[in-house]
Amino acid sequence: MLPENLTAVVARNEIWTGSSATEPYEAGWAREAIVFVRALKQPKGALPKARIEISADGMHWCAEGSEFPLPAAQDAVTFQRLAHFGNFLRVAATLPDGAEITVLVTLHLKA
Amino acid sequence: MTQLDDFRRAIREADPHLSRFDPLPRIICLDDFDRGMCGWTQLVGNYEDTLDAMLPGYAQHSHAMLSTLPNWDFGSHGGVDGSYALKIATRPKKGAQNVAIKRLTFRKPGPIRLEAYFTFKPEASELQLSETDIRSFGFLYDLQIGDTSGPGDRVMPHLRFLNAQDGKHIQRWQFKRRTTPIKPIGTAGKTITHYHLAPDDWEDLPGGEQRLCYNEIPTKVNWHYLRFDFDLAAMQATRFQVNDRVFAMDGFDCIRIPAMKNLWCMLNLAFFAETDTDKRAFAYLDSVCLSGEF
Repeated sequence: MLPENLTAVVARNEIWTGSSATEPYEAGWAREAIVFVRALKQPKGALPKARIEISADGMHWCAEGSEFPLPAAQDAVTFQRLAHFGNFLRVAATLPDGAEITVLVTLHLKA
Repeated sequence: MTQLDDFRRAIREADPHLSRFDPLPRIICLDDFDRGMCGWTQLVGNYEDTLDAMLPGYAQHSHAMLSTLPNWDFGSHGGVDGSYALKIATRPKKGAQNVAIKRLTFRKPGPIRLEAYFTFKPEASELQLSETDIRSFGFLYDLQIGDTSGPGDRVMPHLRFLNAQDGKHIQRWQFKRRTTPIKPIGTAGKTITHYHLAPDDWEDLPGGEQRLCYNEIPTKVNWHYLRFDFDLAAMQATRFQVNDRVFAMDGFDCIRIPAMKNLWCMLNLAFFAETDTDKRAFAYLDSVCLSGEF
Protein backbone atom coordinates (compact mmCIF):
# COMPACT_ATOMS: atom_id res chain seq x y z
CA MET A 1 0.00 0.00 0.00
CA LEU A 2 1.21 3.52 -0.76
CA PRO A 3 2.15 5.64 2.27
CA GLU A 4 -0.62 7.81 3.70
CA ASN A 5 -0.82 11.28 2.15
CA LEU A 6 -3.42 13.71 3.42
CA THR A 7 -4.58 17.21 2.54
CA ALA A 8 -6.33 18.56 5.62
CA VAL A 9 -8.04 21.94 5.55
CA VAL A 10 -7.67 23.09 9.15
CA ALA A 11 -8.98 26.67 8.84
CA ARG A 12 -11.38 27.82 6.14
CA ASN A 13 -12.55 31.41 5.82
CA GLU A 14 -11.48 32.21 9.37
CA ILE A 15 -10.81 35.80 10.31
CA TRP A 16 -7.62 36.17 12.31
CA THR A 17 -7.14 39.17 14.60
CA GLY A 18 -5.09 39.41 17.79
CA SER A 19 -3.84 36.02 19.02
CA SER A 20 -5.07 33.47 16.50
CA ALA A 21 -4.30 29.84 15.75
CA THR A 22 -5.63 26.85 13.88
CA GLU A 23 -7.32 24.11 15.87
CA PRO A 24 -4.94 21.40 17.18
CA TYR A 25 -4.26 18.77 14.53
CA GLU A 26 -2.81 15.32 15.24
CA ALA A 27 -0.35 14.21 12.61
CA GLY A 28 1.99 11.87 14.47
CA TRP A 29 1.80 9.38 11.61
CA ALA A 30 3.31 11.92 9.19
CA ARG A 31 7.05 12.32 8.70
CA GLU A 32 6.72 15.61 6.89
CA ALA A 33 4.28 18.42 6.38
CA ILE A 34 3.84 21.56 4.34
CA VAL A 35 1.58 24.24 5.72
CA PHE A 36 -0.03 26.52 3.13
CA VAL A 37 -1.77 29.75 4.10
CA ARG A 38 -3.87 31.63 1.53
CA ALA A 39 -5.51 35.01 2.14
CA LEU A 40 -9.13 34.76 1.00
CA LYS A 41 -9.67 38.52 1.26
CA GLN A 42 -7.38 41.54 1.10
CA PRO A 43 -5.55 41.60 4.48
CA LYS A 44 -5.61 44.74 6.59
CA GLY A 45 -2.81 46.38 8.56
CA ALA A 46 0.73 45.25 9.27
CA LEU A 47 0.92 41.47 9.18
CA PRO A 48 3.29 39.63 11.53
CA LYS A 49 4.97 36.34 10.68
CA ALA A 50 3.07 33.15 11.38
CA ARG A 51 4.74 30.53 13.55
CA ILE A 52 4.50 26.77 13.83
CA GLU A 53 3.64 25.41 17.27
CA ILE A 54 3.86 21.87 18.59
CA SER A 55 2.38 20.24 21.68
CA ALA A 56 2.51 17.06 23.72
CA ASP A 57 -1.20 17.11 24.51
CA GLY A 58 -2.96 19.58 22.22
CA MET A 59 -3.40 22.00 25.15
CA HIS A 60 0.08 23.27 26.05
CA TRP A 61 1.98 24.71 23.10
CA CYS A 62 5.60 25.48 22.25
CA ALA A 63 6.97 27.50 19.34
CA GLU A 64 8.64 24.96 17.06
CA GLY A 65 11.00 27.64 15.71
CA SER A 66 9.70 27.91 12.15
CA GLU A 67 8.29 31.28 11.14
CA PHE A 68 6.98 32.36 7.75
CA PRO A 69 5.19 35.39 6.31
CA LEU A 70 1.43 35.61 6.20
CA PRO A 71 0.20 36.29 2.63
CA ALA A 72 0.11 40.03 1.99
CA ALA A 73 -2.63 40.17 -0.67
CA GLN A 74 -5.88 38.43 -1.52
CA ASP A 75 -5.18 34.98 -3.02
CA ALA A 76 -1.48 35.21 -2.21
CA VAL A 77 -0.09 32.01 -0.70
CA THR A 78 2.75 31.36 1.70
CA PHE A 79 4.05 28.08 3.03
CA GLN A 80 6.35 26.41 5.51
CA ARG A 81 8.02 22.98 5.25
CA LEU A 82 8.15 20.90 8.42
CA ALA A 83 9.59 17.66 9.70
CA HIS A 84 10.08 16.05 13.10
CA PHE A 85 7.12 17.74 14.77
CA GLY A 86 5.85 14.95 17.03
CA ASN A 87 2.08 14.72 16.99
CA PHE A 88 0.05 17.89 17.64
CA LEU A 89 0.61 20.71 15.19
CA ARG A 90 -0.87 24.18 14.70
CA VAL A 91 -0.21 27.48 12.97
CA ALA A 92 -0.38 30.58 15.15
CA ALA A 93 0.07 34.30 14.70
CA THR A 94 -0.20 37.34 16.94
CA LEU A 95 -1.66 40.22 14.94
CA PRO A 96 -1.25 43.81 16.14
CA ASP A 97 -4.22 46.13 16.62
CA GLY A 98 -5.83 46.97 13.28
CA ALA A 99 -4.41 43.96 11.44
CA GLU A 100 -6.75 41.31 10.07
CA ILE A 101 -6.47 38.42 7.64
CA THR A 102 -9.06 35.89 6.42
CA VAL A 103 -7.23 32.60 5.98
CA LEU A 104 -7.43 29.22 4.35
CA VAL A 105 -4.89 26.99 6.10
CA THR A 106 -4.08 23.60 4.62
CA LEU A 107 -1.78 20.88 5.93
CA HIS A 108 -0.19 18.51 3.42
CA LEU A 109 1.00 15.51 5.37
CA LYS A 110 3.01 12.49 4.24
CA ALA A 111 3.92 9.29 6.07
CA MET B 1 -28.94 -20.35 6.21
CA THR B 2 -27.54 -21.73 2.99
CA GLN B 3 -24.27 -23.56 2.65
CA LEU B 4 -22.83 -20.39 1.12
CA ASP B 5 -23.91 -18.40 4.18
CA ASP B 6 -22.22 -20.96 6.46
CA PHE B 7 -19.05 -20.88 4.38
CA ARG B 8 -18.98 -17.08 4.30
CA ARG B 9 -19.50 -16.89 8.05
CA ALA B 10 -16.73 -19.40 8.73
CA ILE B 11 -14.27 -17.39 6.63
CA ARG B 12 -15.23 -14.12 8.31
CA GLU B 13 -15.05 -15.53 11.81
CA ALA B 14 -11.55 -16.81 11.10
CA ASP B 15 -10.43 -13.30 10.11
CA PRO B 16 -9.70 -11.18 13.20
CA HIS B 17 -10.45 -7.97 11.28
CA LEU B 18 -13.94 -9.16 10.37
CA SER B 19 -14.76 -11.45 13.25
CA ARG B 20 -15.86 -8.57 15.48
CA PHE B 21 -18.43 -7.45 12.90
CA ASP B 22 -21.63 -9.14 11.76
CA PRO B 23 -21.82 -7.86 8.19
CA LEU B 24 -24.48 -8.59 5.61
CA PRO B 25 -23.26 -10.78 2.69
CA ARG B 26 -21.56 -7.99 0.71
CA ILE B 27 -19.03 -5.76 2.47
CA ILE B 28 -19.20 -2.30 0.90
CA CYS B 29 -16.30 -1.01 2.99
CA LEU B 30 -14.34 -2.10 6.03
CA ASP B 31 -12.59 1.01 7.27
CA ASP B 32 -9.91 0.37 9.85
CA PHE B 33 -8.20 3.67 10.56
CA ASP B 34 -4.92 1.90 11.14
CA ARG B 35 -4.87 1.92 7.32
CA GLY B 36 -5.41 5.66 6.98
CA MET B 37 -8.37 7.96 6.45
CA CYS B 38 -10.24 5.31 4.37
CA GLY B 39 -12.28 7.88 2.46
CA TRP B 40 -13.59 9.82 5.46
CA THR B 41 -13.42 13.56 5.02
CA GLN B 42 -14.90 16.77 6.35
CA LEU B 43 -18.47 17.85 5.73
CA VAL B 44 -18.14 21.17 3.96
CA GLY B 45 -21.25 23.27 3.52
CA ASN B 46 -22.62 24.41 0.17
CA TYR B 47 -21.61 27.82 -1.22
CA GLU B 48 -21.51 29.79 -4.44
CA ASP B 49 -19.26 32.76 -5.31
CA THR B 50 -18.08 33.19 -1.71
CA LEU B 51 -17.42 30.98 1.30
CA ASP B 52 -19.34 33.59 3.30
CA ALA B 53 -22.51 31.97 1.89
CA MET B 54 -21.86 28.79 3.91
CA LEU B 55 -24.20 28.31 6.87
CA PRO B 56 -22.40 28.77 10.23
CA GLY B 57 -23.19 25.19 11.21
CA TYR B 58 -21.00 23.96 8.35
CA ALA B 59 -18.42 26.75 8.51
CA GLN B 60 -17.30 25.45 11.93
CA HIS B 61 -16.44 21.99 10.57
CA SER B 62 -12.82 20.93 10.19
CA HIS B 63 -10.89 17.89 9.08
CA ALA B 64 -11.02 14.65 11.06
CA MET B 65 -7.63 13.27 12.00
CA LEU B 66 -5.80 10.03 12.61
CA SER B 67 -5.28 9.87 16.36
CA THR B 68 -3.60 7.55 18.84
CA LEU B 69 -5.85 9.10 21.53
CA PRO B 70 -2.86 10.70 23.24
CA ASN B 71 -3.34 11.91 26.81
CA TRP B 72 -1.23 14.24 28.90
CA ASP B 73 -1.23 11.89 31.90
CA PHE B 74 -0.61 8.43 30.42
CA GLY B 75 0.17 8.89 26.73
CA SER B 76 -1.38 7.19 23.74
CA HIS B 77 -4.46 5.09 24.36
CA GLY B 78 -4.61 3.46 20.92
CA GLY B 79 -7.53 1.75 19.21
CA VAL B 80 -9.31 -1.58 19.58
CA ASP B 81 -6.59 -3.51 17.77
CA GLY B 82 -4.06 -0.99 16.53
CA SER B 83 -2.57 2.43 17.13
CA TYR B 84 -4.98 4.71 15.27
CA ALA B 85 -8.58 5.83 15.29
CA LEU B 86 -10.41 8.53 13.37
CA LYS B 87 -10.85 11.56 15.64
CA ILE B 88 -13.65 14.10 15.17
CA ALA B 89 -12.91 17.18 17.31
CA THR B 90 -15.18 20.15 17.90
CA ARG B 91 -14.03 23.65 18.64
CA PRO B 92 -13.96 24.71 22.33
CA LYS B 93 -17.31 26.51 22.31
CA LYS B 94 -20.58 25.33 23.84
CA GLY B 95 -22.77 23.78 21.15
CA ALA B 96 -19.92 23.40 18.63
CA GLN B 97 -20.18 20.40 16.34
CA ASN B 98 -17.95 18.59 13.90
CA VAL B 99 -18.64 15.85 11.37
CA ALA B 100 -16.72 13.24 9.38
CA ILE B 101 -18.41 11.96 6.24
CA LYS B 102 -17.98 9.26 3.60
CA ARG B 103 -19.74 9.76 0.26
CA LEU B 104 -20.90 6.75 -1.76
CA THR B 105 -23.79 5.70 -3.97
CA PHE B 106 -25.69 2.42 -3.78
CA ARG B 107 -26.21 -0.17 -6.47
CA LYS B 108 -29.22 -1.98 -5.03
CA PRO B 109 -31.99 -0.49 -2.92
CA GLY B 110 -32.09 -3.14 -0.21
CA PRO B 111 -30.88 -3.78 3.34
CA ILE B 112 -27.64 -2.16 4.46
CA ARG B 113 -25.88 -2.43 7.82
CA LEU B 114 -23.61 0.10 9.48
CA GLU B 115 -21.34 -1.20 12.26
CA ALA B 116 -18.70 0.74 14.15
CA TYR B 117 -16.54 0.72 17.24
CA PHE B 118 -16.70 4.19 18.76
CA THR B 119 -15.97 6.19 21.87
CA PHE B 120 -16.03 9.85 22.93
CA LYS B 121 -14.59 12.11 25.59
CA PRO B 122 -13.96 15.79 26.31
CA GLU B 123 -10.58 17.44 26.04
CA ALA B 124 -8.93 16.74 29.39
CA SER B 125 -8.26 20.39 30.22
CA GLU B 126 -9.45 20.05 33.83
CA LEU B 127 -8.66 17.56 36.57
CA GLN B 128 -12.32 16.62 36.77
CA LEU B 129 -14.26 13.63 35.43
CA SER B 130 -16.06 15.99 33.01
CA GLU B 131 -18.68 13.36 32.14
CA THR B 132 -21.26 16.01 31.24
CA ASP B 133 -19.02 18.09 28.98
CA ILE B 134 -19.88 16.15 25.82
CA ARG B 135 -23.35 16.95 24.57
CA SER B 136 -23.67 14.22 21.99
CA PHE B 137 -22.15 11.63 19.72
CA GLY B 138 -24.13 10.54 16.70
CA PHE B 139 -24.33 9.33 13.15
CA LEU B 140 -26.49 9.75 10.08
CA TYR B 141 -27.14 8.61 6.54
CA ASP B 142 -27.95 10.96 3.68
CA LEU B 143 -29.85 8.91 1.09
CA GLN B 144 -31.83 9.39 -2.06
CA ILE B 145 -33.58 6.90 -4.36
CA GLY B 146 -32.34 6.12 -7.89
CA ASP B 147 -33.30 8.41 -10.75
CA THR B 148 -35.80 5.92 -12.22
CA SER B 149 -37.08 4.53 -8.92
CA GLY B 150 -39.31 7.42 -7.95
CA PRO B 151 -41.30 9.07 -6.79
CA GLY B 152 -39.38 9.31 -3.55
CA ASP B 153 -37.60 11.50 -1.09
CA ARG B 154 -34.18 12.44 0.10
CA VAL B 155 -34.05 10.57 3.40
CA MET B 156 -31.72 11.36 6.29
CA PRO B 157 -31.86 9.00 9.26
CA HIS B 158 -30.16 10.62 12.27
CA LEU B 159 -29.39 9.10 15.66
CA ARG B 160 -27.46 10.72 18.48
CA PHE B 161 -26.55 9.72 22.00
CA LEU B 162 -27.54 12.79 24.01
CA ASN B 163 -24.96 12.44 26.74
CA ALA B 164 -25.62 15.73 28.52
CA GLN B 165 -27.42 19.01 28.10
CA ASP B 166 -26.69 22.13 30.15
CA GLY B 167 -24.70 20.09 32.62
CA LYS B 168 -27.34 17.41 33.17
CA HIS B 169 -26.24 13.85 32.45
CA ILE B 170 -29.02 12.51 30.20
CA GLN B 171 -27.61 9.44 28.36
CA ARG B 172 -30.38 8.76 25.88
CA TRP B 173 -30.59 7.98 22.14
CA GLN B 174 -32.53 10.48 20.06
CA PHE B 175 -33.61 10.81 16.42
CA LYS B 176 -34.66 13.64 14.16
CA ARG B 177 -37.49 14.17 11.68
CA ARG B 178 -37.03 17.85 10.84
CA THR B 179 -34.23 19.94 9.35
CA THR B 180 -33.91 23.71 9.01
CA PRO B 181 -35.80 25.48 6.19
CA ILE B 182 -34.21 24.91 2.78
CA LYS B 183 -32.39 28.05 1.64
CA PRO B 184 -31.17 28.86 -1.89
CA ILE B 185 -27.45 29.60 -2.24
CA GLY B 186 -26.08 32.10 -4.75
CA THR B 187 -27.76 33.22 -7.96
CA ALA B 188 -27.32 30.33 -10.41
CA GLY B 189 -30.32 28.43 -9.06
CA LYS B 190 -28.28 25.24 -8.71
CA THR B 191 -27.49 25.05 -5.02
CA ILE B 192 -29.50 24.96 -1.82
CA THR B 193 -28.57 24.40 1.80
CA HIS B 194 -30.10 23.36 5.13
CA TYR B 195 -28.51 22.42 8.45
CA HIS B 196 -29.78 19.01 9.43
CA LEU B 197 -27.64 18.92 12.59
CA ALA B 198 -29.25 22.01 14.08
CA PRO B 199 -29.75 21.55 17.84
CA ASP B 200 -33.54 21.72 17.57
CA ASP B 201 -36.09 19.01 16.83
CA TRP B 202 -34.34 16.01 18.34
CA GLU B 203 -36.87 13.51 19.74
CA ASP B 204 -36.33 10.76 22.30
CA LEU B 205 -36.07 7.26 20.88
CA PRO B 206 -38.66 5.28 22.87
CA GLY B 207 -36.79 3.08 25.35
CA GLY B 208 -33.57 4.78 24.26
CA GLU B 209 -32.03 5.40 27.69
CA GLN B 210 -28.62 3.76 27.94
CA ARG B 211 -25.87 4.05 30.52
CA LEU B 212 -22.58 3.72 28.65
CA CYS B 213 -19.23 2.94 30.24
CA TYR B 214 -17.37 6.24 30.67
CA ASN B 215 -14.69 5.37 33.22
CA GLU B 216 -13.30 7.42 36.11
CA ILE B 217 -11.09 10.21 34.73
CA PRO B 218 -11.38 12.31 31.55
CA THR B 219 -8.48 10.64 29.78
CA LYS B 220 -9.75 7.04 29.91
CA VAL B 221 -12.12 5.68 27.31
CA ASN B 222 -13.71 2.35 26.48
CA TRP B 223 -14.75 1.31 22.97
CA HIS B 224 -18.43 0.68 22.19
CA TYR B 225 -20.06 -1.32 19.40
CA LEU B 226 -22.95 0.02 17.35
CA ARG B 227 -25.00 -1.50 14.57
CA PHE B 228 -27.71 0.25 12.55
CA ASP B 229 -29.76 -1.67 9.97
CA PHE B 230 -31.62 0.23 7.29
CA ASP B 231 -33.67 -0.84 4.28
CA LEU B 232 -32.99 1.34 1.22
CA ALA B 233 -36.08 -0.10 -0.54
CA ALA B 234 -38.54 0.86 2.20
CA MET B 235 -36.32 3.76 3.41
CA GLN B 236 -36.93 2.59 6.98
CA ALA B 237 -34.67 1.64 9.87
CA THR B 238 -35.03 -1.97 10.90
CA ARG B 239 -32.69 -2.48 13.87
CA PHE B 240 -30.40 -0.50 16.16
CA GLN B 241 -27.98 -1.97 18.64
CA VAL B 242 -25.34 -0.48 20.93
CA ASN B 243 -23.25 -2.91 22.96
CA ASP B 244 -25.68 -5.34 24.64
CA ARG B 245 -28.84 -3.30 23.97
CA VAL B 246 -31.16 -3.63 20.96
CA PHE B 247 -33.61 -0.77 20.64
CA ALA B 248 -37.12 -0.98 19.23
CA MET B 249 -37.31 1.18 16.11
CA ASP B 250 -41.13 1.38 15.83
CA GLY B 251 -41.09 5.01 16.94
CA PHE B 252 -38.10 6.02 14.81
CA ASP B 253 -38.32 8.05 11.65
CA CYS B 254 -36.01 10.06 9.40
CA ILE B 255 -35.75 13.56 8.03
CA ARG B 256 -37.58 13.34 4.69
CA ILE B 257 -37.33 16.17 2.19
CA PRO B 258 -38.12 16.28 -1.55
CA ALA B 259 -35.67 14.45 -3.80
CA MET B 260 -33.05 16.71 -5.35
CA LYS B 261 -32.07 16.76 -9.01
CA ASN B 262 -28.43 15.85 -8.41
CA LEU B 263 -28.37 13.26 -5.62
CA TRP B 264 -29.66 10.01 -7.16
CA CYS B 265 -28.62 6.79 -5.39
CA MET B 266 -26.70 8.84 -2.84
CA LEU B 267 -25.37 6.86 0.11
CA ASN B 268 -23.53 9.17 2.48
CA LEU B 269 -22.68 8.18 6.01
CA ALA B 270 -21.42 10.51 8.70
CA PHE B 271 -20.49 10.57 12.37
CA PHE B 272 -20.54 13.69 14.52
CA ALA B 273 -19.63 15.12 17.92
CA GLU B 274 -21.09 18.04 19.82
CA THR B 275 -19.81 19.76 22.95
CA ASP B 276 -21.93 21.05 25.81
CA THR B 277 -19.24 23.33 27.29
CA ASP B 278 -16.47 25.64 26.10
CA LYS B 279 -14.26 22.60 25.85
CA ARG B 280 -13.47 20.46 22.78
CA ALA B 281 -15.50 17.27 22.36
CA PHE B 282 -13.73 14.32 20.77
CA ALA B 283 -15.49 11.43 19.07
CA TYR B 284 -13.35 8.51 17.94
CA LEU B 285 -14.02 5.72 15.46
CA ASP B 286 -11.75 2.70 15.64
CA SER B 287 -13.34 1.07 12.62
CA VAL B 288 -16.48 1.15 10.51
CA CYS B 289 -18.02 -1.67 8.47
CA LEU B 290 -20.76 -0.97 5.94
CA SER B 291 -22.36 -4.00 4.33
CA GLY B 292 -25.33 -4.75 2.15
CA GLU B 293 -27.67 -7.49 0.98
CA PHE B 294 -26.93 -7.76 -2.74
